[in-house]
Amino acid sequence: MSALNTRVSLLALACAVSSYSVMAEDSSLTNPSISAVLDGYYQTGDRPLAERAEGFGLGETELALSANIDEMFYGKVTAVVESHDGETELNLEEAFIQTLAMPYGLSVRAGRFLSDIGYLNNQHLHTDAFTERPAAYRAFLGGHYFDDGIRLNYVAPTDLYWTMGIEAFKGESLRAADEHGERDFDDVGVYTALTKIGGDIGIESSWQLGLSYLRNQNGQAYAEDEHEDEAADEEGHAEHSHSASYTGENTYIADFVYKWAPNGNYKYQNLTVSGEYFRVTDIFGMEPGHIVEAGHEDVSTDDYHQGWYVSSVYQFSPSWSAGVRYGQIDTNEIHEDHLDPQKLKESEVSLAWHSSHFSTVRLQYTHQTGTNFDGFEDDNIFTLQYVMSLGAHGAHQF
Amino acid sequence: MRINSKLLLAVTSMSLLFTATAKAELNVFACEPEYAALAQTLAPDARVYSATTAMQDPHQVQARPSLIAKMRQADLVVCAGADLEIGWLPMLQMKSANRQVNSTDKGLFFAADQIDTLDKLTHVDRSMGDVHAKGNPHLHLDPTRMLTVAQALSAKLTEVDPENASRYTQSLSDFSQRWSAKIPQWQEQAKNLAGKKVIAYHSSFRYLFNWTGIEQVADLEPKPGLAPTSSHLASLLTRAEKGDVMAVIVASYQDERGAKWLGERANLPVLVLPMSVGGNEQSTDLISLYDSLLTLLNGVK
Repeated sequence: MSALNTRVSLLALACAVSSYSVMAEDSSLTNPSISAVLDGYYQTGDRPLAERAEGFGLGETELALSANIDEMFYGKVTAVVESHDGETELNLEEAFIQTLAMPYGLSVRAGRFLSDIGYLNNQHLHTDAFTERPAAYRAFLGGHYFDDGIRLNYVAPTDLYWTMGIEAFKGESLRAADEHGERDFDDVGVYTALTKIGGDIGIESSWQLGLSYLRNQNGQAYAEDEHEDEAADEEGHAEHSHSASYTGENTYIADFVYKWAPNGNYKYQNLTVSGEYFRVTDIFGMEPGHIVEAGHEDVSTDDYHQGWYVSSVYQFSPSWSAGVRYGQIDTNEIHEDHLDPQKLKESEVSLAWHSSHFSTVRLQYTHQTGTNFDGFEDDNIFTLQYVMSLGAHGAHQF
Repeated sequence: MRINSKLLLAVTSMSLLFTATAKAELNVFACEPEYAALAQTLAPDARVYSATTAMQDPHQVQARPSLIAKMRQADLVVCAGADLEIGWLPMLQMKSANRQVNSTDKGLFFAADQIDTLDKLTHVDRSMGDVHAKGNPHLHLDPTRMLTVAQALSAKLTEVDPENASRYTQSLSDFSQRWSAKIPQWQEQAKNLAGKKVIAYHSSFRYLFNWTGIEQVADLEPKPGLAPTSSHLASLLTRAEKGDVMAVIVASYQDERGAKWLGERANLPVLVLPMSVGGNEQSTDLISLYDSLLTLLNGVK
């Protein structure tokens, strides 16, 4: 009941404000930036761990409200409406404040926000050049990792861009499966440390490299004495969740992005090449106090999940862009006290038409090959999708 | 937790180290080359960085790492304003975490705030294309408005760096003298242009046309920010066939294809004008930019 009220009032608030904010000039507390993102699709199959199901559907319908609160703070709320299996859910994806006036290049963000790890994670889904996040994101971060927590960030005063950040989060969505609900999880489950460097090469090219480490106190899965096919259970039912499906205690991410435009003029043509590598270690352990039975000592602590992708998008005119992406994940599924290896490979091609930079209609083809991957074997999927934004101009990240 | 506090300590000590050495000269971050040129003229000793070149559309700039790094170090940020940089400047401000350049009360300066912009709109709708409610931001090609901007920028320099106030006053007076001497010359050169009709791309040269008396009778863009379409170009051809159009004009960062198509069919000269300093070989500063613009326009046969 109260959840319903929250929903209604949030939407009502946004509608009420948006009616006069179309003319928004400088966003302020009485005149915040309001934007909405509409996303709809038709697709011919299912991608594992993905948000979108076969047939017609809606992606994330986003409603965002942001403004400088005063001289010291900026605030943003992003509500996301999703529908899955006839259920409509309202989620808060962002509700954070950020400092604007700390000295020495320091800033703090607190509340619910997108973690700054990796390259894609801090970007909103509607800015992606492909229908779904790469498989590595879906497997290890639940698509995109947002959570309740705090971040301290520092930007060095150097000509070479250099930033460092540390974050602490609740970490609920990255918890390992807990079949019996008995596990004693840490309240602050996730800590991250990240750094990014970047710069230009001449006038036409820019680049950024990033390294991130994520410590997940609740990430290690425990062996089961009885046969409990948890992981398969979780995915097999295509149950909607933002939780990571494959977790571990330590996650390492390396990412890069390179962008090029003739004369550095992005209006007509530009190229983006990006890639990320994930390695998730200490994925499987024995429950504290667990007595190892004879003949079951073969559990290896060296086992890990990994995943990577490389993607390239070329905008060849203001109205058209095309992208290719290849990615794969190598994961382990827990069966009793041992791990079964799985593999998923995805090769994707997308073509998008932009009537302006606020609207995109995309056709994407995915060829996926799974090995022991919950019945996903050899599939061809086509998705036709639109993503459009209305309201305030959002400034996009690099 | 111990790791975190160590990291925090490292971060803090490092920042102190950097700030101790960095503050030697005034760092100016300009969004466009015309304001980099103006800032360098008014503050000859400053370290001035331009985020864009005259070959880049300032509406569409990536909030790239190098720009964040430059803005992090800036004492003063100088931009056209009127929402021209709305797609990237707020992201740079957020990411660079430099409180000195967050607000126009401190080290942030918008040229459009200093003058009356042309074509202010009371109603803005996305169906109108990429228009700015605060009026046309491409104001640097109006000599009298630029003089007002120069005066205000000089005052801002003094506010940000009061120690060098006398130097800024001196530089402004030098600039004003040279600029004011040039204005009647430019007006003389513009005399032949008054009443001439052109087809141009976007409202990029709105201010130039306004003070020279050139009339832009049609736009290569069907709507601001949208690329020329074939049906739109066909309608421009019909317009051009009336025979009263002098030339098709595009800016140095704009795609020439639509203009060339139209120029060939309508038998009109296509003129690529430097949008800013660095837009052609001749335009090395603001004065030579104006000289070059007027020479090119007068050269149309």
